[in-house]
Amino acid sequence: MSDNNFDKNSKKNVIQFSLMLSVICSLLITGAASGLKHLQQENIKLDKKANILKAANLIDGNNKPPKDEILRIYQTHIKEGLVNQEGQPVEIENDDVLHLYYYHTNNHIDGYILPIHTKGLWGKIQGYLAFENDGQTVSGFSVFSHAETPGLGGEIENAWFRKNFKGKKILNSQNKFVSVGIAKGKVKNLPKNLQDHYVDGISGATLTGQYLSEGIKSTLTKYEAVSIAFRQKRLKAMDK
Amino acid sequence: MSNESTQYKEILLKGIWHENPVAYQVLGICSALAVTVKMSTAIVMSLALTLVTGFSSMIISSMRNKIPSNIRIIAELAVIASMVIVTDEILKAFFYDISKQLSIFVGLIITNCIVLGRAEAFALANNPMDSFVDGIANGLGYSLVLIAVAFIRELLGAGEFLGYSVIPNVIYNAGYQNMGLMLLAPGAFFIIGLLVWLKNSLSGSNK
Repeated sequence: MSDNNFDKNSKKNVIQFSLMLSVICSLLITGAASGLKHLQQENIKLDKKANILKAANLIDGNNKPPKDEILRIYQTHIKEGLVNQEGQPVEIENDDVLHLYYYHTNNHIDGYILPIHTKGLWGKIQGYLAFENDGQTVSGFSVFSHAETPGLGGEIENAWFRKNFKGKKILNSQNKFVSVGIAKGKVKNLPKNLQDHYVDGISGATLTGQYLSEGIKSTLTKYEAVSIAFRQKRLKAMDK
Repeated sequence: MSNESTQYKEILLKGIWHENPVAYQVLGICSALAVTVKMSTAIVMSLALTLVTGFSSMIISSMRNKIPSNIRIIAELAVIASMVIVTDEILKAFFYDISKQLSIFVGLIITNCIVLGRAEAFALANNPMDSFVDGIANGLGYSLVLIAVAFIRELLGAGEFLGYSVIPNVIYNAGYQNMGLMLLAPGAFFIIGLLVWLKNSLSGSNK
């Protein structure tokens, strides 16, 4: 190292140095990534559960409870379900099967939660939309992940935006499926007959609102059979 | 020994105030705009950047006699990038909620001019301990500006301090409205501009 003839610019050193640096950096990065992967995935799973509970209003969005409590509430109140395209519960998972979550208290189903997975402005938006067991009233909405602009589209994850979804209806007064969307501007400026089907938009984030509306609509259309089943009161009690 | 500590004190003062990276060197402005919407994001970002700058400057300085000149920048970037990626992985594993708040901004520390800037301007010509102090100092200077901007933006733009609503409803009812501009990038630009002006008038004739 303290060799008088050490020339840091020699070809030999360039190659040696680059090789060493590359190897050390790669080892560090791969080591960290794979060593920590398990922990990271546990965190993601827990966060998904917390978001499902948030959508169902079983936990407070602003104060995330400790891990044990989240798991306990999830265990007690949430049941994961699989349905086919016609809304019939199935046991076997394959590509056509739809995932959803039922929330229940003592075997009585209070509602169901659908995973929303849509394109956003800058990336995918993932969240959960919860419904009451009447099959048409929204009871909550939570955002699990997104890549929207902080302060603008990123407001979709904030409580003020999400709580507006509560009470909105996906069926209009003629019992036609209209989904629920994000308005451009405030809902109170919309005609009265539309107000139940929109939430206030985020100023400066029209596109995020549009993408989210489209995503919700297409997801709800896919799951419409499930909602219909609830409307016809076929899924009030869980079969054991 | 006292020579060393006066030296550190000088380095610290330069980095935090006299040659503040954002206000004086005009570096790191981009992330100063993006993460200052809320104070909590700004604080975590400041911490991450300060540590990354400190340690990467220290590591690069310890290799300074071996890095070939023609791959200098790439080598520095390799060190900085690896460090940031490892930091990101650690955040995702142990501080998941914070990492979600910061999302892409942790990765963007790699592109923050302050980190590479200090490596080039200081670490290559000074010993590891001095470089570490310099890195931390510049990180602290950046933090100072970031937290000040975030404080103003969060207060004026959302009426909150660290997420808690601080403007009483009385004032809202009297007609006061949150300044939406503060939540957008232009608002950040204005605040940063005003802070740079303030800083330079305060320390103006010194340097």
